[in-house]
Amino acid sequence: MSSVVAAFWNPIVAKEYRSRMRTWRSPLAMMVYVALIAGLGYLMFSSMVGPSFGPSGQASTYGQQLFKYLVVFQMILVTFIAPALTAGAISSERERQTIDLLFVTRIAPFSIIWGKLLASMSFVVLLLLLSVPIFSLVFLFGGVELDQVLYCFLITLAAALTLGLLGVAFSTLLRRTLAATVASYVTAFGIVFGTLGYGLIFPTLIDQSAPSSPAPPAVTYLSPIMPLVALATNAPPLTGYFVRYKYQTGPVYNSGSTICKGNVCQTTGGGTVTVSSGKGGATPVDATAIPSGLFQGWQYWQASVALYAAICVVALLVSAFLLPPVRRLPWRRRSAAAPA
Amino acid sequence: MISAEHLTKVYGKRTALDDVSFEVPEGEIFGFVGPNGAGKTTTLRILAALLEPTSGRASIDGADVARQPHQVHSRIGYMPDFFGVYDQLTVAEYLDFYASCYRQPKQRRRKIVSDLLELIGLTERHDQAVDTLSRGMKQRLCLARALVHDPVVLLLDEPASGLDPRARVEMREILRELRRMGKTIIISSHILPELTELCTMIGIIDHGRMRATGQVQEVIRQLSADRRVRITILGDTDRAVAILEPLAAVRHVEVAGGTIEATYEGDDSTAAGILQALTAEGITVSAFSPVEGGLEEAFMRITSEEAV
Repeated sequence: MSSVVAAFWNPIVAKEYRSRMRTWRSPLAMMVYVALIAGLGYLMFSSMVGPSFGPSGQASTYGQQLFKYLVVFQMILVTFIAPALTAGAISSERERQTIDLLFVTRIAPFSIIWGKLLASMSFVVLLLLLSVPIFSLVFLFGGVELDQVLYCFLITLAAALTLGLLGVAFSTLLRRTLAATVASYVTAFGIVFGTLGYGLIFPTLIDQSAPSSPAPPAVTYLSPIMPLVALATNAPPLTGYFVRYKYQTGPVYNSGSTICKGNVCQTTGGGTVTVSSGKGGATPVDATAIPSGLFQGWQYWQASVALYAAICVVALLVSAFLLPPVRRLPWRRRSAAAPA
Repeated sequence: MISAEHLTKVYGKRTALDDVSFEVPEGEIFGFVGPNGAGKTTTLRILAALLEPTSGRASIDGADVARQPHQVHSRIGYMPDFFGVYDQLTVAEYLDFYASCYRQPKQRRRKIVSDLLELIGLTERHDQAVDTLSRGMKQRLCLARALVHDPVVLLLDEPASGLDPRARVEMREILRELRRMGKTIIISSHILPELTELCTMIGIIDHGRMRATGQVQEVIRQLSADRRVRITILGDTDRAVAILEPLAAVRHVEVAGGTIEATYEGDDSTAAGILQALTAEGITVSAFSPVEGGLEEAFMRITSEEAV
């Protein structure tokens, strides 16, 4: 039990909390964060309750829309924040010449990484908690369940953890904070936006002979925006952009359009996708599951979390190996300096 | 207590340490002297298990630095030559942080911190932010940080570098106190006289090689075959010089401001012979004292041999 407590609570965490919360930057970051999310929430809210919010509009649809934009916007903000929190974690200790003082203590290098990460992630959790009151606006309209909100926050946190851990890994690898920060941001933007860009440029082409309906390219599941949109809208996310016909040059999908080719029909934009086959009539398909490909049958969030877990494990192992001043591979235990 | 056997460290083409060996028994203060870049920091970092030697081995209190780094870390207090402090922490929090890094139980940490602050004379500043301390205070605080887990061995890399004379004296007082506490200490410095009065042992390193090592007096004798004596006389200095110069043991005589400095070869009985020769000729000697500076010159000579 005590070892579990020690693993989560190491002196680094307490020190990082103190250092972080005593600067003017943290309250400023929190204020800006809340102001930006509140600003977006207010803009959307006011546009929805205005004259355009007529009897034809469904409150639950508006609620879903508001929720979708808020979670995606929150994720974008986190993408900007998470690398900044961790990219200097190890390199700044090197630059300030404090790292040797830690290495000669009884703290294991792994605990240094873990402590730094936990402290940074706590700040992300704090930001997410600060945004909860703004998210409660959504419940004025309805259309979103509490578990959807919870899932979305957990996905955002998982993505933040991944971006944060990559920041720590770059901080360990590159030694200079500036280089680590640049590398962390490039990677973070690559994961969150670059993967979506890849999906846009190289979408899945619809193949009539395929036994199952097309799914977006697996690379796009790396972007937390995919599972967030899937969870927020209860529908396959952004399929209109990532799944296209072979025969057409321009973008095929418009919001709400239905496309049929042979006996496969697909509707997008409205929220649900129904896939029907000519042989057996309409068969209900789990709308939010990935219909084909590497992660067939998985939920979008499951695919993303699995990919994040893999990235996190690699980043953690790389950092833990690179950090110690004297690196020892477990299978190469001390032979070089042993006496002849 | 501390042993280094044939330590060699090669960086690419440059050999930073070349077959360095020495022993420091328990309770000794080992002065590690050499010009900048001689390999002092490399040696201390190897002893602190922060650097892997290319070959050779070292141990601290029986723990091998390469194979048992954790045991080494719990036995040593290490103070690097350059170090930073965390901003946003107070002096007491800084020490408490490191005490917890050494897994000192919470109940004991408060006492450890107050005792150490008293030792380094920063008790009144326990609530002050660390980054606002003067350099001398930071240096003392870093020394206190190395002591939070009550180590048996202290590895201090240039603890007095960059300090003003007053801060140097304060640092020396603390080191004396630590010697009284029975710690085995290695102190590195590029200034020899700084160490000779504090240390019991000395090692002189240059270009990665150990030039001389042993008890202070032994090394001094080893280094300086030539000794110097300062003589103050009442009356005619010229006559005294005339008596000194023909003596077989005397190499060189110099007169500066009424005092005579004579360089001679030999030991204490030779010095007594010189004094006797002067008094026998009726010269009134008011002061006759050996000059330690000979060591410094010898040190300069030894460490510049290869550079020339």
